[in-house]
Amino acid sequence: MLNDILIRLRAMFRRKRVEGELDDEIRFHFDRQVEKYVREGMADDEARRRAKLEFGGMDQVKEECRDARGVEFLETFFQDMKFGLRMLRKAPGFAAVAILTLALGIGANTTIFSVINTVLLRPLPFPNLDRLVLVWETDASKPDDPDSFNIVSAPNFWDWEKQNDIFEKMAIFDSAGRGYNLSRGGEPERVSGVRVSADFFRVLGIEPLLGRTFLPEEETAGRDREVVLSYALWMRRYGGDPQIVGKQIRIDGEDSTVVGVMPQKFRFQFWSHERELWVPMGYTEGDRGRDSNSFLCIARLKHGVTIAQARTEMHTIGQRLMQEYPKEDHGMSATVEPLATAGMQEVQKTLMALLAAVGFVLLIACVNVTNLMLARSATRNKEIAMRRALGARRLRILRQLLTESVLLATLGGVAGLLLALGGVRLLGSILPDALRSSPLRPVTEIPLDTRVFLFALGISCAAGILCGLVPAFTAYKGDVNGLLKEGASRGSTESGGRRLRNVLAAAEVALAVVLIAGAGLLITSVARLLGVDPGFNTKNALVMGITTPQVDLYYGPPTNELFCEQLQQHVGSIPGVLSVSSISTLPLAGMATRAVTAEGEPYPGRDNNPWGKYNLACPSYFRTMGIPIIEGRELLDRDAVDSEQVAVINESMAHKYWGKKDPLGRRFKIGHPDSTGPWITVVGISRDNYQRGLDRSIYPEFFRPFTQAGWPVMTIIVRTASSPLAFTQVVKKALAEVNPDVPVSGIQTLDDIVTDSVGDRRFPMLLLSAFGVLALALAGIGIYGVVSYGVSQRTQEIGVRMAFGAQPRDVVKLVVGGSMAWTLAGIGAGILGALGTARLLSGLLFGVKATDPFVLGGVSLLLLAVAMAASYIPARRAMRVDPMVALRYE
Amino acid sequence: MTERIDLPQGTLDLLILRTVALGPQHGWAISERIHQVSSKVLQVQQGTLYPALHRLERRGWIKARWGASENNRRAKYYELTKSGRKQLETEESEWKKLTAAIAQVLETT
Repeated sequence: MLNDILIRLRAMFRRKRVEGELDDEIRFHFDRQVEKYVREGMADDEARRRAKLEFGGMDQVKEECRDARGVEFLETFFQDMKFGLRMLRKAPGFAAVAILTLALGIGANTTIFSVINTVLLRPLPFPNLDRLVLVWETDASKPDDPDSFNIVSAPNFWDWEKQNDIFEKMAIFDSAGRGYNLSRGGEPERVSGVRVSADFFRVLGIEPLLGRTFLPEEETAGRDREVVLSYALWMRRYGGDPQIVGKQIRIDGEDSTVVGVMPQKFRFQFWSHERELWVPMGYTEGDRGRDSNSFLCIARLKHGVTIAQARTEMHTIGQRLMQEYPKEDHGMSATVEPLATAGMQEVQKTLMALLAAVGFVLLIACVNVTNLMLARSATRNKEIAMRRALGARRLRILRQLLTESVLLATLGGVAGLLLALGGVRLLGSILPDALRSSPLRPVTEIPLDTRVFLFALGISCAAGILCGLVPAFTAYKGDVNGLLKEGASRGSTESGGRRLRNVLAAAEVALAVVLIAGAGLLITSVARLLGVDPGFNTKNALVMGITTPQVDLYYGPPTNELFCEQLQQHVGSIPGVLSVSSISTLPLAGMATRAVTAEGEPYPGRDNNPWGKYNLACPSYFRTMGIPIIEGRELLDRDAVDSEQVAVINESMAHKYWGKKDPLGRRFKIGHPDSTGPWITVVGISRDNYQRGLDRSIYPEFFRPFTQAGWPVMTIIVRTASSPLAFTQVVKKALAEVNPDVPVSGIQTLDDIVTDSVGDRRFPMLLLSAFGVLALALAGIGIYGVVSYGVSQRTQEIGVRMAFGAQPRDVVKLVVGGSMAWTLAGIGAGILGALGTARLLSGLLFGVKATDPFVLGGVSLLLLAVAMAASYIPARRAMRVDPMVALRYE
Repeated sequence: MTERIDLPQGTLDLLILRTVALGPQHGWAISERIHQVSSKVLQVQQGTLYPALHRLERRGWIKARWGASENNRRAKYYELTKSGRKQLETEESEWKKLTAAIAQVLETT
């Protein structure tokens, strides 16, 4: 094999040498033969004549030797390439348009592919990834349906760990995590971190770069003042100090010992941005409730255990626990899911829809180039006919034409790669959170790696073949003699060619309709979504995150009772600030939930979502957010630690727990009917607002005064009289007066938060719109090309018509009318296609159906208008045809 | 003139391999040797010999090097390679099987 290639290559690149050797070899043989005959007694010339006769054609022998050495294949290829380049140089306009068209298509595809490559195809950096799973609590009635998967509670996890024999190791970590304040040794800084159980790193199979990971005993509260740093944090804040292990750093105002640093390749995120530090679990009282579901569970399967076996085992354990804890684990089971694909379904759907869209753009580009080549092939027919007359075989001509179109596409591919270079940079800046923070796949840049290059090369070749096939096959049609005769190029083959070009243009229109309909549906969805009233006033409000010291995370009274008061004093007094408040979880920023039992009312039951969104808020929250109180009062300064436990609830909660009764003055408690929590009195009912997204349902929700229950991470809302961002510095300064060590983060306006909440859709919408515009432009150019070529071919006919009295209006009608016929056919096919492919977008649509008549009608009109405009320009040229000139051609 | 018969398809490679197995030979000597050894029955045409030599070289069964001929001219010598020797063995045994089979058929009818 290697020998084969070496000989072929030598034959190609050392051509002179090889040829010379061949000459010598043949000549040697000839001379020996002559010598032999002379020795046998022949005369010299006679011997020569005889040898020559025997030999046959010496050149033919050499030619066959060359073939035997395998020169031919590559040689022909290079010949065709050279010829192709010469043809392109001779038609620079055609070459430029074709290369640019293909570059746009290939560039768009390469850009989207590099996103897919980065987000979906990059393997997760964990050893034996196929054995890593997520373990979920789930609904016993449909345990393996991803919609029933739920995060887990620590006690259930402990039982799983004890009872299973399928996992090598298991671990849990906070599903939410939080920001940790680093102070001392530099600016105070908040970094994202998460609590993990001892085996967390061992399950993932990653060894620390320095020091160690956590020990089982560090899961106990009080033993947990220890921390593992990420490589990036270690480098950034501690300058890569090799002696860092064993040193004390200050986290949330308390000393912690650094026990380890993770290697650079270990980057971790799950339902959040990347985590930069890990601390031991240090289970609090609140973590120990069997119904306190707040953890994600990962596990490593033992060798040879399949997902199906693991599921069966977990169902069994889940059922056992359900019997053992009928109240907390009612209707519950457990299951597993491969870690490698977890949480990627939505992302995958969006990216595949985008890939399909750019695929369409490339198809349109190919059709355009095909049409260009067909138009040009009319002028090349004679050359091809000549080749055929000289004995070129069909396959040979096919090969030559395909080499030319692949050459064209490869040049387009190179230009496309350059476009993609800019494309990924652009995309990197608008990448939505859903892609940037996919589970376990932090995306900081979108590299163009080998795989992307191979992809670009692959689609370039495919596009080249696709563009070249139709022209290559049609080139061989027709009668050689007829074609060779002067002036006979407009015979019957021409009308067949025109039909083919019209069909291709119609296909182009159809593809553009599908693409633009998709873009139109998404634009409508985003517009409808942004038109939804979020339930609060988004104008002139600044928000920012801040941490409050909290000893018992998420539970118990606040460690700093004065937080709201200080906020009011320092920020509320800034001129131009209308009001200020704070809440634990801002609308559209996620959910913390708690089970709810209403006093004297039937418990909805575990299957009936007996929970509500849990909020802790400072006084004046509803006034600051602009959320109307329908009944009762809002949270006030007088709601203190030791006063009556109160809450404001939303309409949905009032309705769910009290139906038609008036909930004001009635009581509920957190937890199940027999929980021992205090009774909380309803003092107000607020208007519903969206919590998880403008397209999600609204859940029951209640708001407790921050003074009566603490929370470690609060969002401050500042309602201002004018442009909110102008207040950023004064507000930050005022907060620093209260506590200089606590950084603020995530400074945004409420407007931004609403806009960002539709980011998952805005990203595909922007891209689809861009591709739609591209498709429209390409289709317009394509239609223009086909029509104007048609007009130039029919100059004589038009001249004759005009000579017989046709008016310019009639000519326009003839030309535009002709193109309208196939445009309409294309639009019809496109609408069918749009309906067929709408499934790809189904998850992204909001408030609009894939069959929406306004969108589909609008798209049809748009394409009709573009087709008309594109045909009108050549039609006008046809209108100005001078009958005399046109007829003189004949 | 002696009676000559055309070589059956595929046997040329076998003859060439067999001939160069005796030691490095140039093209002319190979054709002469086949001619002599076959009692002048087999005559290899130059037009088929050289393409065959080049093809066998590309396959890696023989390799070529330049050397001085008996009359001190530069000539291209072909010799058997390791994989060529293996190929020769297979082709030889196949050929023997084939001829034996054909002979058997011819004798029984």
